[in-house]
Amino acid sequence: MFSIETFFDSFGPLFWAARYTLLVSGLGIALGLVIGALICAAGLSRWTAAQRFAAIWVSFLRGVPLLVQLLLMYYLLPVIGINVPAIAAAVITVGICASAYISEIWRGAIGALPKGQSEAAIAIGMDPRNVWTRIILPQAVVLSLPALVNELILLVKASSLVSVVGILEVTRASQAHAATTFRPLEVYLAAACIYLLINLCLAGLGRYLEHRTAV
Amino acid sequence: MEWSIFQQYGPMLLRGFQITVFCWLFGTIFGMILGLLIALAQRYGVKPVRWLLQAYIEIIRGTPFLVQLFVLYYGGPLIGLRLDALPAGLLGLTIYGSPYFAEIFRSAFRAVPHGQIEAARAIGMAEVSIIRRILLPLGLVSALPALVNFSIILTKETVILSIITVPELMYQVQRMSTETFRYLEANLVLALFFWALVELISRVGRRLEIRITKHLIERT
Amino acid sequence: MVQASSVEIRKVNKFYGPFQALKDIDLSVPPGKVTCLIGPSGSGKSTLLRCINFLEEYDSGEVRIDDQLIGYEVPGGRKMPARKLREMRRSIGMVFQQFNLWPHMTAQENVAEGLIRVRGLPRAEAADRAVEALRKVGLGDKMANHPARLSGGQQQRVAIARAIAMEPQLMLFDEPTSALDPELVGEVLNVMKTLAGEGMTMVVVTHEMGFAAHVADQVAFMEAGELVAVDAPARILHQPEDPRIQGFLRTYHERNAF
Repeated sequence: MFSIETFFDSFGPLFWAARYTLLVSGLGIALGLVIGALICAAGLSRWTAAQRFAAIWVSFLRGVPLLVQLLLMYYLLPVIGINVPAIAAAVITVGICASAYISEIWRGAIGALPKGQSEAAIAIGMDPRNVWTRIILPQAVVLSLPALVNELILLVKASSLVSVVGILEVTRASQAHAATTFRPLEVYLAAACIYLLINLCLAGLGRYLEHRTAV
Repeated sequence: MEWSIFQQYGPMLLRGFQITVFCWLFGTIFGMILGLLIALAQRYGVKPVRWLLQAYIEIIRGTPFLVQLFVLYYGGPLIGLRLDALPAGLLGLTIYGSPYFAEIFRSAFRAVPHGQIEAARAIGMAEVSIIRRILLPLGLVSALPALVNFSIILTKETVILSIITVPELMYQVQRMSTETFRYLEANLVLALFFWALVELISRVGRRLEIRITKHLIERT
Repeated sequence: MVQASSVEIRKVNKFYGPFQALKDIDLSVPPGKVTCLIGPSGSGKSTLLRCINFLEEYDSGEVRIDDQLIGYEVPGGRKMPARKLREMRRSIGMVFQQFNLWPHMTAQENVAEGLIRVRGLPRAEAADRAVEALRKVGLGDKMANHPARLSGGQQQRVAIARAIAMEPQLMLFDEPTSALDPELVGEVLNVMKTLAGEGMTMVVVTHEMGFAAHVADQVAFMEAGELVAVDAPARILHQPEDPRIQGFLRTYHERNAF
């Protein structure tokens, strides 16, 4: 029988573990935004080597499953002499992985701007720096917001994978809780509910932004 | 670094790769079929059905695949659903993919110009014929890039099946690495392998796309 | 000579929410005659045309094809079964502003599709009839082309072939030349003129006043959802009494003066 009690009792410990889920996905997207911006800039630069580097970066990170990336990073860092806590390794991996997708989101947003806009700016004699900072970037950032929220939702779900390197986030906590209560169905459903709750909130935020930024 | 382990474990890895490909094909094909049925039911169904399906879509898309697998594999027996790892993984993959496929089909159907459906209605075509002859062929073509894209995402998701002990490639590689302590090499090779696989699939997909849409592109 | 239907429209009303698109429309289309619907955009002429084959569902009134009510079982009653509606639509051809050819099929397949799926003809026979219909609109050499490889005028002629291949007794044209480049309008109007000459009943929503003047048997002028006048082309286009028609024609001639 389904035990409604166990189901509700699971929420306490799982909510507590959700701070790691939020930490990993939140810091992950922050890191991803920074690296993603650099990669995007490299991809759009006139320097062929930078372009090629960006292309390989994006292609590799989008081609390799995050789970494999996590283990790779987990084993790689000590070998190259970097000893950081597992949580840091997890955030770095998630951030690096996200950077590939985020750089593509930004490239798409910049590409979606009508070419006439920068032409109009150049025509009135604006220098390239101003064309970028005054015309292109402000619009591209606004345009990319819904996609970035969507990326954050993906990261919240993807953060469940860092449970395999021992981070006690929602999924790992639910495994532990299921093992002690012997009620996996209720506990995992409760975990699913927590993810759903977080993501529905984020989706609402995304819709709000989309609505706000729609011209 | 020690690479000879790959020779020693070759047959095991090959078996794992076969299971990976099988899971991927199964998940893609059945996820697509389920997604197509959902999209059609959402287009033609009555309101309560549409709401239920929308809820299903939101729930599956709002939760991690790993947690879905846990519910199915570890929670299933409590309600009498006793599945081995592989069937649980296949079912999980199908369920996981279905809402994404459904959304792809739904927007593809919406992209079919209404006039082309009306033209069929105007000559008295039955709704079933319209679906089969107009909506599906045109919808499938415009859905193709997104379908290829999502099936690539599914390729990568198959590795998560290793966590519920489906003996696919990831699982075998982890087994190999714990038996030989070659964690880094094993995972590096696995990463490169997936990279190559995904690049290959997306290239084949692009080629396919160009071939299929060739005659639909407006003469300029 | 084709068999030709008549259309009787009685007190037809159509609402989009609070907006009334059609107001108590009465119109008779005699068999074998060409009726042109003219008027400013948004006047409801396309809506009225689409009510004739029930692509647009009118809210009250009656539309009868050869005395048979379309869309409803009885006036103001339940909607007619889909099968019966399909049966009635078989004998009503329609040509759209945007052609609406099916882009994944060749010209010949576009024409044959209805013959196979709706009329149930064997493939070979359907293909032969498709060729015949395409020849009739002057496209015997374009059968194997997909729509994307045809000009707008050719696409619209394929669309006409698709409709006439079904051997309709009534043809509806919804601004068939409005989406065409000016130099392609003539080839489509010529095909329509030929059809009219064969005694097909035709209802044509158009902005081509020349076609209305020379080919139509009667012209109906609509504005703001109302049928303002129905009369012989000359009476509407050359000596209109109603100031609304005079205004419309003035605007039309001013535009064409350039």
